[in-house]
Amino acid sequence: MKCIRSLVLSVAALVITGCGSTGAPTRHELIDSRDQYDPRSLDPALSTDVPTGRAVGYVFDGLTRFDPNARVEPGLAERWEVTPDGLTYTFHLRHGVLFHDGTPFTAKHVVNSWQRALDPVTKSGAAQFLFPIRGARELNAGTAKILSGVTVHDDSTLVVTLAEPLAIFTKMLAMPVAAVVPNDVPANFGEHPIGTGPWKLVEWKHDDYLLFARNPSYFGGAPKTDSLRARIIAEPSTGVAEFESGNVDILQIPASEASDWQEDESKKPLLMSTPALELVYVGINTTRGPLTDVRVRQAINYAIDINRIIERLISGRGTRAAGVIPPALPGYDSTRKAYPYDPAKAKQLLAAAGHPDGIDIELWTSVAPIYLRMAETMQAYLKAVGIRAKIVQRESAAVRGAARKGQVDMILKDWYADYPDAEDFLYPLLHSANRGAGGNVSFYSNPVFDSIVTKSRHELDETKRNALYRQADSIAFEAAPMVFLYFYDELYAVQPWLKHFVPPVIFNGQRWTDVTIDTKRK
Amino acid sequence: MTTFILRRILLSVPTLFGVLVVAFLLLYVAPGDPVEAMVGERADSATIVRLRAQLHLDDPLPSRFGHYVASVVTGDLGRSYITNRPITQDIRERFPKTLQLAGAAMLMATLVGLTLGVLSAMRPGGLADRLALGIAYLGISFPVYWVGLLLILLFAVTLRWLPPSGYGGLRFLILPALTLGMRSIAFLARMTRSAMLEALSADYVRTARAKGLNEWAVTLKHALRNALIPVITVLGLDFGAYLTGSILTETIFSWPGIGRYVVNAISRRDLPAIQGTVLFLSTVFVLVNLITDLAYAKADPRVSFD
Repeated sequence: MKCIRSLVLSVAALVITGCGSTGAPTRHELIDSRDQYDPRSLDPALSTDVPTGRAVGYVFDGLTRFDPNARVEPGLAERWEVTPDGLTYTFHLRHGVLFHDGTPFTAKHVVNSWQRALDPVTKSGAAQFLFPIRGARELNAGTAKILSGVTVHDDSTLVVTLAEPLAIFTKMLAMPVAAVVPNDVPANFGEHPIGTGPWKLVEWKHDDYLLFARNPSYFGGAPKTDSLRARIIAEPSTGVAEFESGNVDILQIPASEASDWQEDESKKPLLMSTPALELVYVGINTTRGPLTDVRVRQAINYAIDINRIIERLISGRGTRAAGVIPPALPGYDSTRKAYPYDPAKAKQLLAAAGHPDGIDIELWTSVAPIYLRMAETMQAYLKAVGIRAKIVQRESAAVRGAARKGQVDMILKDWYADYPDAEDFLYPLLHSANRGAGGNVSFYSNPVFDSIVTKSRHELDETKRNALYRQADSIAFEAAPMVFLYFYDELYAVQPWLKHFVPPVIFNGQRWTDVTIDTKRK
Repeated sequence: MTTFILRRILLSVPTLFGVLVVAFLLLYVAPGDPVEAMVGERADSATIVRLRAQLHLDDPLPSRFGHYVASVVTGDLGRSYITNRPITQDIRERFPKTLQLAGAAMLMATLVGLTLGVLSAMRPGGLADRLALGIAYLGISFPVYWVGLLLILLFAVTLRWLPPSGYGGLRFLILPALTLGMRSIAFLARMTRSAMLEALSADYVRTARAKGLNEWAVTLKHALRNALIPVITVLGLDFGAYLTGSILTETIFSWPGIGRYVVNAISRRDLPAIQGTVLFLSTVFVLVNLITDLAYAKADPRVSFD
């Protein structure tokens, strides 16, 4: 048996090492391999996942947008002013912008687009990102017919009044759901989108690829390459094969394979790393049984050797979390020390909380293999201090549903930023207003924390706001409503012929407009 | 014959209805909520409640089922909760691709499997027989997943003869069809061999030989035809299985077929898409079985349906 296995392995090794190098392609088409499943629709209002949001970002514009480093840039709005109370935004829109069908863009389109996204008939699952606008919630609930907070001054001036001050409002406007669509959107708009963006959708073969052609009259400067193909490759190993064959230009390397790439001298020069705004954590339901006691939650944090998990299970591609704010965002406190691995302290805390014989809990996780491995590792660490964790593995939708209803002790999950701001971690994950469906599956509720976060949302001064973020993060860290695991660092492989590609920090931060293929490269 | 076909088609109606009931009930008791997938990670509880009401998810089960059956009868499978596209359109786009892949796999399996089987039976224990046995063992014991990836590495990455994945012309079809057909090749080879051995020792074969026919004519004209019945059974079942979702193969080779579609639908709890596809694929399976039965009559004149 052993003999057969080694034979098989050596055949595989021969096959793998046999691959030669590829010359630059002659195509004038950029090929992306990152989508693992078909976008839902190219209707911005329906965008709730990454492949959809990315594609919407190619075809459409919002008033603002993100650059690859996740900084806010002017989009359809050239500039804007905010009143000192933070309630009223005046947006000055660009002149001469055309939709792909030639219709000139005006301020009226913005109002219509947002009203449409909020209209219950549209069945948008992302409409809540527009709720900061006055009257948006009412419109979405069906108790109002128009969006009262938005007024059109003239074709190029739009005044938006918020329900309450929100410092990061312009970041929310860069989200797919806030993108601007034409008037009179047809029923099959999701298949045949028309926007103002740098790329026009040419062809969409479901589960196969989306093909975009450059919009030569794009206001931000037309893309430098003729076309862009977003291939949908369900299996990561296939993506690797496509990359090695030179058929795709970039590859997002799965965490489990990162070390193979990092240790291979021939592949190393192709690698690019970017801090993803992704927190991987274990939400601890602070309202269930022994988990209501902060000492028990801290004990769980002390009991797990997280550095080792990062090193062994994800090839070191994570920054240890000591709070929920990622290092890439303002508000991150690099001086805060994570819970060290200290089983003795964990046992002591458990005993102090009245559980000298340990506790029994359930740890829920989705069926993703990497999560299962992580859950099993944590289970072993927890057992060593007397915490008997039972792993419950369900499909992600089922896990999420149960966690939202508060039926889960602990849940291993991740959180991807919708927009690059510390607020998108503190507020949804831990503010009491978001318990359950809003994202706070820890059901953490602390009036002091809430008031600081609320204050930070209102604070227009960036320095003061960041100080509030740090303060809130520090409170949450002490209360341990989760096991703070790590922030993932995305690893990309980029073909040597690809020029000016910068891996985006936020999912819709790379629109390929400046990226080119050096066809002369040997 | 016509009466037989009509009767079978009529009989399939309760079968399909049963499938529908089971699918509906299973999805009802399975954990997970379609609205969870619609709203994403950060949601608003009021939106969830409203969407549930809009999709009639809170209606009593019999009423939901009644509405569904009523629309299915008119040929309307509804729209996907997630993409808002008509399910019939989704199936129309994807099924032909699955059919193409399954057809190519079956063709490959029949050609290679039958040939191997016949060759083995003609000289049991000979070189061809031992070779065929080896191939059959490999085909049965290698997991599809592993075979697929290995084929990609060899023929696409190393030799650069074929594209690693994707949908397109014949070049794109070869590797996935081979991966998918591997198991059938193995089974068919073994099945054909044993059926042929039995047929070759029958009296009519001796008679055929006695009247001076050469060995090839005896084997192909007299023995093979009689050995076909079990082979057709295997072919029919395998073909049905391939059509109803060669999920792994489609995933490895990024083949945009119905298998990947249904897996995506399940993981997103896209109820109309799951129910529609299940119903459609059951119909396909019933049809394939019917065709298999008709093929028996063609292969063996003793089988009659009247």
